[in-house]
Amino acid sequence: MAGRKHRLLMAVSILVFLFIAVPLVMIAITAFGEASTIRFPIQGFTLGWFTAVFASRSFMSSLLVSFVLAAAATLLALAVGVPATYALSRSSSHGKKLLSAFFLSPLFIPEIVVGYALFKFLVISMRLPIFAALVVGHFLVVLPYVIRVVGASLEQFDFSIEEVACSLGCNRPQAFAKVVLPNIGSGIIAAFMLSFINSFNNIPISMFLSGPGMSTLPKTLMSYIEYSYDPSVSAISVLLMAITVALMLIVEKTLGIASLAK
Amino acid sequence: MRKPLYALLVVPGVALLVVFLFYPLVAILSPTFYDTNGLSISRYLAFFGDPYYMKILARTLRIAAIATLVCAVLGLPTAYFISRQRRGVKSFLMALSIFPLLTNSVVRAFAWIILLGRNGVLNDTLLKLGWIDRPLPLLYTEFSILIGTIYLFLPLMIITLIGSMDNIEEDITEAAESLGASRVAAFVKIVLPLSLPGILVGSVLVFTGTITAYTTPNLLGGNKNMLLATLIYQRAMSLSDWTGAGIIALVMILMTLVVVLVMQRLAGALDRR
Amino acid sequence: MAYATLEDIRVSYDGKTNILEGLNLQIERGELVSLLGSSGCGKTTTLRVIAGFIEPNAGRFSLGGRDLTRTAVHKRNFGLVFQSYALFPHLSVYDNVAFGLRLRKLDAKAIESRVGSILDITDLAGLANRFPKQMSGGQRQRVALARALVIEPELLLLDEPLSNLDAKLRLGMRVEIKRLQKRLGITTVFVTHDQEECFSISDRVAIMNKGRIEQYDRPEVIYSSPVNEYVARFIGFTNFIDLTRIGPGRFRDSRGGEVLADLDRGAPSCVGAIRPDDIELSTASASGANEVPGVIEVRTFLGKSYQYELKTDLGTLVANVSRETPFEPGARVFACLPSSKIVVC
Repeated sequence: MAGRKHRLLMAVSILVFLFIAVPLVMIAITAFGEASTIRFPIQGFTLGWFTAVFASRSFMSSLLVSFVLAAAATLLALAVGVPATYALSRSSSHGKKLLSAFFLSPLFIPEIVVGYALFKFLVISMRLPIFAALVVGHFLVVLPYVIRVVGASLEQFDFSIEEVACSLGCNRPQAFAKVVLPNIGSGIIAAFMLSFINSFNNIPISMFLSGPGMSTLPKTLMSYIEYSYDPSVSAISVLLMAITVALMLIVEKTLGIASLAK
Repeated sequence: MRKPLYALLVVPGVALLVVFLFYPLVAILSPTFYDTNGLSISRYLAFFGDPYYMKILARTLRIAAIATLVCAVLGLPTAYFISRQRRGVKSFLMALSIFPLLTNSVVRAFAWIILLGRNGVLNDTLLKLGWIDRPLPLLYTEFSILIGTIYLFLPLMIITLIGSMDNIEEDITEAAESLGASRVAAFVKIVLPLSLPGILVGSVLVFTGTITAYTTPNLLGGNKNMLLATLIYQRAMSLSDWTGAGIIALVMILMTLVVVLVMQRLAGALDRR
Repeated sequence: MAYATLEDIRVSYDGKTNILEGLNLQIERGELVSLLGSSGCGKTTTLRVIAGFIEPNAGRFSLGGRDLTRTAVHKRNFGLVFQSYALFPHLSVYDNVAFGLRLRKLDAKAIESRVGSILDITDLAGLANRFPKQMSGGQRQRVALARALVIEPELLLLDEPLSNLDAKLRLGMRVEIKRLQKRLGITTVFVTHDQEECFSISDRVAIMNKGRIEQYDRPEVIYSSPVNEYVARFIGFTNFIDLTRIGPGRFRDSRGGEVLADLDRGAPSCVGAIRPDDIELSTASASGANEVPGVIEVRTFLGKSYQYELKTDLGTLVANVSRETPFEPGARVFACLPSSKIVVC
């Protein structure tokens, strides 16, 4: 085949890819071992750890909590963030810069600090129920993603089609719903996916705000690891990775992977 | 539509952020500026004078610096390799790089528990090969935190660098080669300088990410090797030392801001291109 | 013996389709040779084989008797100018031009003098400290040229260097390039899709089609006697009529009319080609050979002349005739195809 090969470059890159992939593959393999502690290579083959995970009330209930929490936080962030980004994209540059910075400011506050601040405020001072506190915390973490991704969509949006819609008879809310929203749809979906995943995977906020009876899956997982060392952790890891792959496939089919690389 | 209506759309977001972010932040930070005599920074002076805290701060910065360096060194050739592939392969490799970023950090840290533990894969293999008689204590050390951190942030550095390198046209490296530069020389003299913006952004992300990370030091470092984030958690939850936790929180915020501002300055200086 | 030779070059990316096949090219020292063709004909691939970016699947490339087929790019000492100029954005004009010299480890004084003189020759004196983004397209072009020339290359390779310039600059720059090339005596290969540009400055032109060279000769020769229909179309022949030979220089067209052609190559397939500028139109018939009656369908104004599309029994003919005696659409005219202007290929 004609062409040039970059041998050294390829070798280094392959090593890096192996470094990234092999540990995850190892986890996956250990999920199927029969021994009661984690061993590699595995002895025997069983799906028992997976059934144990599905049977475990603590894992399943925290999985549910994580899902519902991610959905709630993301929807709230979209409900608040999309109109705000729309307003920002339509306004003059003066207030725009300030407000943009304001909405993106949570990114500069370490999550562990946000978790701690909310813990003191919501849990100790205000005695908010755990789930509500979690929603607030995750909302704060996820909002900047919505602002950034939907904002980028709106930057490229040609607002003259909104004006045409108005000339054809729509009032402003109708024009927004019929003409703006569908055209930034891919941006909203990307923001949804990114936010959902980040909320689902979040640890620092969940560490501080979870409580007795209600915990997110990552927190449950981490506590479990601190006390036990059996392949059910591997099994959950495999499940989480499978969910990630599924979500990536959905994004790929609708938007293309590159949209997540922003 | 006129300005007033736009203001309405922005109000809920602003209100929520003020009430649930800025107010709680002020609430945890302001007590740190008071001691028994009123307004003072004595607590901060005590913090910076305390060898226990300084050791943790030094450890955090040390690990962050090394991790950033290693991620940059490993990420550059990999990102360059990916950016030069044709579309199908490139998409696949990018997906491979994004996948770990979307995987939970607990899972990614757990992988190193399996690898580095006393009964872990590495020790098992070395024992079987007869290279050692007793398992090496690799876990719960600074080394394990460092490896875990590099593992956590390398994909992020790669993705950031690809974004920057995609802007470098292929014929520039070909022009350099035609003028006598070997492929390595072309990479060093042309690709590296032009990737500098991406390197800066990636480094800031890795550095600030490391100084604020909780999961990896918690799972791989244990109580003997604390970093700032695990310190905050311990102070707050185990010891109910609210002001202590607040001081560390402000130090963390300030470090993050300083690093970002320095980067913006550097990026501005480089922008003469 | 030729200075640079491509022998039997084959290039294929997937093992099935050949981008270049059995390609042979010989270039004399000091010549400016152009590769001309439409997109996809393989001209850029050929250039990249010469440059070393593509290693051919078969065949040889040699220069001055040395086989360079497998030599790495950075060891060939060829000067390259790309369509996009490929200037190093982070280096000043001076550093861009000095880049190759620094890699050759020349000392600072030598570099300064050589860069200085090449900047003078390319009319860039005084711009040495500017950066590419501060310069116009024409200036960037000259920097790319200076950078390639300063290393005293054995071959200068130009890949559509003028395509990104506006029309006026292109005319000026192509003369510049020719002037420099002659002055420095550098053997040059020039890739383009613009026939006029290429014919104006080249010593020889290779017209390429689907990975093969159709005709390789001096521009004047190709212009007056294209070897086949592809080449003829490229150099401005737009009218083609099928002919059968009845004798040397004598043919019959599809109506049965007689056609005389001075330039008959004796080739087996006979297609008569004539340029729009060479067809004469009149309202009266002169009778005899080389005349075709027709009806004018469309008339367009070209400035110096009118262009007429004629519907005839031999197909549609396009004729450019001076403005003096315009014809109206719908008029019946007689087209005369002078025997000295018909080329049979």
